[in-house]
Amino acid sequence: MTDQDILTVFTRTLRDLIGDDSIVLAMNTRRNDVDGWDSFMYVSFIVAIELELQIKFRIADVESFETVGDIVAEARSLLG
Amino acid sequence: MLFNSYEFIFVFLPVTLAGFFLLGLSSRNLALGWLVVISIAFYAWWRPINVLIIAPSILVNFVLARWLLRLTADKTRAGLARLVLLLGIAFNVAFLGYFKYVNFLATAANDLIGTNFVLTQVVLPLGISFITFQKIAFLIDVHGRRIPSFTLRDYGLFVLFFPQLIAGPIVHYREMMPQFQQARCRWDKENIAVGLSLFGFGLFKKVVLADGISEYVSPIYETASAGSEVTLFPAWIAAIGFTLQIYFDFSGYSDMALGLARFFGVRLPANFDSPLKATNIIDFWLRWHITLTRFLTAYLYNPLVLWLTRRRMVKRLPGLGGRAPSVGAFLQLLAGPTLLTMFVSGLWHGAGYLFILWGLLHGLYLSVNHAWRLFGPRNWSSKETYERFMRPTGFVLTFLSVVVAMVLFRSANADAAKELLQGLVGLNGISLPQQIFAQLGPLKGLLPSFVTASTVMSAQEFVFAMAWLGVLLLVALLFPNTLQLMARYEPALGVHPKPAAPLSLLRVLDWTPTVPWAVVMSSLVVAAVLRIGGKSEFLYWQF
Repeated sequence: MTDQDILTVFTRTLRDLIGDDSIVLAMNTRRNDVDGWDSFMYVSFIVAIELELQIKFRIADVESFETVGDIVAEARSLLG
Repeated sequence: MLFNSYEFIFVFLPVTLAGFFLLGLSSRNLALGWLVVISIAFYAWWRPINVLIIAPSILVNFVLARWLLRLTADKTRAGLARLVLLLGIAFNVAFLGYFKYVNFLATAANDLIGTNFVLTQVVLPLGISFITFQKIAFLIDVHGRRIPSFTLRDYGLFVLFFPQLIAGPIVHYREMMPQFQQARCRWDKENIAVGLSLFGFGLFKKVVLADGISEYVSPIYETASAGSEVTLFPAWIAAIGFTLQIYFDFSGYSDMALGLARFFGVRLPANFDSPLKATNIIDFWLRWHITLTRFLTAYLYNPLVLWLTRRRMVKRLPGLGGRAPSVGAFLQLLAGPTLLTMFVSGLWHGAGYLFILWGLLHGLYLSVNHAWRLFGPRNWSSKETYERFMRPTGFVLTFLSVVVAMVLFRSANADAAKELLQGLVGLNGISLPQQIFAQLGPLKGLLPSFVTASTVMSAQEFVFAMAWLGVLLLVALLFPNTLQLMARYEPALGVHPKPAAPLSLLRVLDWTPTVPWAVVMSSLVVAAVLRIGGKSEFLYWQF
């Protein structure tokens, strides 16, 4: 899976969760950039990604992600 | 040894600084080693046996952390690493549990299930709650590979650094150690000036403001715990007065800790940001004892919410967030974890039912606040209208909620808390000091019949208490705080100036190392030093 593939999964997941098809995620997107992506939705998003990709993030990493690119990089590393 | 004592200010501190800067001339290692030794001496001053109690726990943590460091470097041993982490956390919780909670648990068991456990005399090592949390955070950070290496001296310095040893701020290794490693260990004019001013502000807040109001607050709580009725005015003086006392006491201590660390070129994280100005309770907890909130959020609340969300979503139940959250998700993913976290916070503060109740009450406040945000009315005509209404309403509600909860925090027992809470709502009647009542003359006829004369407080005490409340409320609610005043010099880790309006109070009062500020600081320090005397412990040193 390439970074772009992972990003596509992320975008689709977040659109489903927030119910907004206009969301477009990029590697440098931050949570504040997306309307409705609050801290609660962030946890739901992380878990939805885990279920979709069959991976499990470490709690310490979940707290330290700053951009979508950080989450993509960790997901890629977990996917091996 | 208290920060607000002559022996600390005029003997311990000068000796410590002289040793540090002299040794720093030849070697940074020696200077940092000196800091470890002097921190142990600081801790031992109170009760030397404390060192013998705490030292084995530090060594056990060090050994476990080194083991974890090796295990986490090898991906095939992740299971064992997790086990070692859990063992370490269990060891620390048990250590704290024995010293702080064994008698409380025995009393609770005797009360609730009729056992006959005999209470033992356990000496509570100073600052054990803070030290324990810091050691747990360290183990979790090593397990999370956030700490690549460390030596015994570095670990000792992190755990024992005397400015924050007894009552925080609760720090992370990764935010402290780079500062020690880069410290010049030389006399630095700016660090000394900023450190002295932070220490001076803190000393003034503690010795003059907090101790000043406590003279009027403590007798009322003592009256309540002796079983006497507390009427409306004294109840409010006690409730608001103690809220102000603990704010100036603990934020004063925190300012002093920031100042002391700054002498060595180290910035500690901020612990207070004018919490009484908060306009909702979530905001209050982001401004009050910030490093405790940060610890509990990172190491308890967040992992719990993540775990619960995983369980829910595997069952195809919705998580929390979005525009139409479900009540089930709210209760399970927000209210439950919040109540549990605040229960732990209450228990951490003290081994007693009232501390637990205080924590749970704040958990309830926070849950209501979150519920309002998620489910509250959204049909405001504009954001401005909402803000115009909610900011003052939220401020008053938050202030009153904090004040009422503080009665539980301060009361010596449940009966005292009941007396005061009854007094707050007027159930114990309304009374004025005898002398004031007598002076009213014909105005007495205008007062309702349930207003009576009382001898509990003299007219002078009553007037002075009211004046103290007025002054302290003014300082707490209208003045910029220490960190804002000194923001230009990064008084705490990551605190930088925020853009201020050209004519704001902040701009006018901005701290600078100039003669007018030297006069102000000297006056504050002289006023404080002259008031030092007797035993005046920091309220948070008991935790």
